[in-house]
Amino acid sequence: MGMGKDTFTLLLFASASTYTGAETLTLPAPSSLRQIFTTLERMYPGFVDKVLKSAAVTVNLEYLDIELDGLDPASTDPGSTTGLDMLIKPGDEVGIIPPVSSG
Amino acid sequence: MATESSPAVPSKQPSSQTSSILDPSNFPQTLSSETIYISLVYDPLDVPAYLRFTRSPKAGANVLFLGTTRDNFDSRPVSRLSYSAYPSLALKSLYAIAEDVQKKHGLEKVVIVHRLGEVKVEEESIAVSVSSGHRASGWTGAEEILERVKARAEIWKREWFADTGEVQEGVWRANKETDAQGNSIQSK
Repeated sequence: MGMGKDTFTLLLFASASTYTGAETLTLPAPSSLRQIFTTLERMYPGFVDKVLKSAAVTVNLEYLDIELDGLDPASTDPGSTTGLDMLIKPGDEVGIIPPVSSG
Repeated sequence: MATESSPAVPSKQPSSQTSSILDPSNFPQTLSSETIYISLVYDPLDVPAYLRFTRSPKAGANVLFLGTTRDNFDSRPVSRLSYSAYPSLALKSLYAIAEDVQKKHGLEKVVIVHRLGEVKVEEESIAVSVSSGHRASGWTGAEEILERVKARAEIWKREWFADTGEVQEGVWRANKETDAQGNSIQSK
């Protein structure tokens, strides 16, 4: 895994993977979630609406307690979705978790 | 502000690679203890082995659930389907569910195994096996495990439909869209 000193690993599953055509991205760290989501929306237009709003996010196998269904990546209002200022550190593993369907 | 960094724009192209975390050669992946066995596998499920694991001199009841793949969804013909997962997180979640339900219902032993990759119609995609002193806690415990797994475990099903000639991309299913009777649930 790409555990560089200045990058983190983003894992994309299910619809997040098919929408972007990628399963793993190595992105610069540290970055705030807001910066990461903005980058993803720029790289893959529609990603926020089509994927992220119905997804959950994990950092190092722990779920973040943030609400993404009201997410607006274009918004400059820092209070619009709490928790987006959280900083992802180098070496972190971040997962985008769409609604699950085991069984 | 000087400390305000710009958005996380990748310096060059972001490096995107085929994910090694789902490379079948890295499986089966297993998390287990004396009384709990959790596994993600690409090969067909070895059901007798799970029953051997849960068998116990303290248990008078052994409950086995097998989920098999259907050839239809909502009356549409499914031509093929496959499962993917976030393996490390799914193992952790499955183990936590097993441990919690084991305590809650006093189960002796618990096995949860889920298959990944393409699963042929009629083959098992999931096995839940539990043992308990008496039958009531076994039935209830196994059912609770299955429902919690379907709601929680970081595993995804993708279906391809025969009626579109597979020209369309496979559809990712979401368990929260259907209930235990297979009926569709109106989501928000």
